[in-house]
Amino acid sequence: MTASSAAPKIAPLPAPKTGARLVVEALDAQGVEFVFGYPGGAIMPVYDAITEASFKHILVRHEQGAAFAADAYARVTGKVGVCMATSGPGATNLVTGIANAMMDSVPLVCITGNVASPLMGTDAFQEVDILGVTLPIVKHSWIVRDAADIPAIFAEAFRIAASGRPGPVLIDLPKDVQIRVVAAPIQATPAKDTARRLDPSQMRRAEAAIGLAERPLLYIGGGVRIANAVAEVRQFARNTGIPAVSTLQGLGALAADWPGNLGMLGMHGTRAANEAVQACDLLIVLGARFDDRATGKLSEFAPHARVIHIDIDAAEIGKLRDAHIAIAGDVKTVLPALSPRPLSIAPWIERCARERSRHEARYDAPGDGVYAPALLKELSERAGDTFVAACDVGQHQMWAAQHCRFASPFAHLTSGGLGAMGYGLPAGLGAKLARPDAHVVTISGDGSFIMNIQELATLKRYGIALKIVLLDNASLGLVRQWQELFFDGNFSEIDLSDNPDFAAVARAFGIDAFRITKREEVSAGIDRLLAAPGPCLAHVLIDPKENVWPLVPPGKSNAEMMHGEA
Amino acid sequence: MTEMLLIQIDRSEGSLQRLIGLIERRGFTIERMSLAEAGLHREVRIGVRARDAGRAVDVLARQIDRLIGVRRIAPSADTVHSEGAVPCTA
Repeated sequence: MTASSAAPKIAPLPAPKTGARLVVEALDAQGVEFVFGYPGGAIMPVYDAITEASFKHILVRHEQGAAFAADAYARVTGKVGVCMATSGPGATNLVTGIANAMMDSVPLVCITGNVASPLMGTDAFQEVDILGVTLPIVKHSWIVRDAADIPAIFAEAFRIAASGRPGPVLIDLPKDVQIRVVAAPIQATPAKDTARRLDPSQMRRAEAAIGLAERPLLYIGGGVRIANAVAEVRQFARNTGIPAVSTLQGLGALAADWPGNLGMLGMHGTRAANEAVQACDLLIVLGARFDDRATGKLSEFAPHARVIHIDIDAAEIGKLRDAHIAIAGDVKTVLPALSPRPLSIAPWIERCARERSRHEARYDAPGDGVYAPALLKELSERAGDTFVAACDVGQHQMWAAQHCRFASPFAHLTSGGLGAMGYGLPAGLGAKLARPDAHVVTISGDGSFIMNIQELATLKRYGIALKIVLLDNASLGLVRQWQELFFDGNFSEIDLSDNPDFAAVARAFGIDAFRITKREEVSAGIDRLLAAPGPCLAHVLIDPKENVWPLVPPGKSNAEMMHGEA
Repeated sequence: MTEMLLIQIDRSEGSLQRLIGLIERRGFTIERMSLAEAGLHREVRIGVRARDAGRAVDVLARQIDRLIGVRRIAPSADTVHSEGAVPCTA
């Protein structure tokens, strides 16, 4: 052995770089396409380095818009979304978006600048303990103390955000760390997540329970989208014939025209869905978490059912409803591994199909005013399989869920867990950047839209051809509806009749816009909207007294649905 | 009833805040707690009590288990019987 061959081979250290440069390289190394952000003092070194990045930075007009846009990008693509802000108010403006991603299990990497390390904890200008502020709403978080750790922390952050049950992570970068020059070691690939092994005894018990059930029902949640398990769910439903209900986040997992698809359950669910849940003797829960909007009064939810709960997050199983059979695993893996014997449930299938047919929504509302459910149905059907809805929060959100046709759960972006008004416009722009080929439509209301209206400037700046349907009832419609029904008609602070002319506002931002005021104008309006080459807004005036039906009153059982005048 | 949990957790920044915050947020009070070094990790012995009957400690344990940096969680043998708060030792 020669002396030279015996010497350990030491890889030369890479050239020294600033922490900021390492941040940019780390994002490029992850294949990031877009970073949605807004600069400020404490993140300036990164913005200085960003000019050499391979990814594209999208300058939004408010940090909340950055978080929502990154969220929607992640939901549509299944990749990790990235947003960035400065310290203090920049960081706190991200908070609603981070909470939104946490509630709906969306993989986000959120980057914040912070004051220099020696100033942290001294109440310095634009200093906030963003790690502390966000602890309850992140999957994990870091303050980078050493610039040499940046490659490793970023690699780990992307892995954690996307793995298992996805969620947001936060990386806080003190300014001195961004400036410091280090020779960082080349980052090794982070440890891979080991696939969870399924418990064979639970799988056999599940097969036996399915085989014995007379009235089994699938309860499809957002986990199906996250697991990219649409094909597996459709295959399982087709093979077994078991009817299905969906949560808000599970819509689109089954084809809308499949007779066993009973639609959404819960507060604004279909009567067929809620009745099936109340009648079933076996509930097969696929990536859902018994959210109170879905279950109504929990103690009376699916009262006759045994429960098979399949979820990648073991902490969800038994959290709200005990599972007779618990399978902690990925829906995409679990469903194909289940082989129940052929079922004899024809009477149940027929009953569900009959109820679905009996309670089909009607679109023959009287009058010549615009009927929002009919408009949304027509819009989604005309847009076809490339329709993607980015919804805001309120009555329009529920109408979209009830009446739009979604080709897959990736086509329905909605703030389900947090219910954050203001999501729709920035989410739409993030989705359209991710899917330029798709008909991406923001469906908003007059209350929600104005909460992030500034992002019209972002649409204009980048020429993002997002289409917007703004349903204007000159009020906070869902609050008004609850005040009418549950507060003796005492209408308190819901009047928005002094709204601006939204079409004129959009035009002031340089966005094409027009108004729809009558039912007869709807079809031509949809034509114009879908054909517009750039961003376009349809300001639609609707009846302020229109309500969302059906409705399960808050705290009541899903068996106690109200049906209103519809 | 106070139930004792033994948790091994990384010494990373914010890990204790994360753990304690999660327990309180999920509807439990912390009745007693001790902290010891355990090599590269920390060992936290913690007594928790549910605020209402709807909270199950096994669900809490799974929620703790999914925290990044939690290496191990198990029921502690000395459950319930020790009286009074144990001061934080580290």
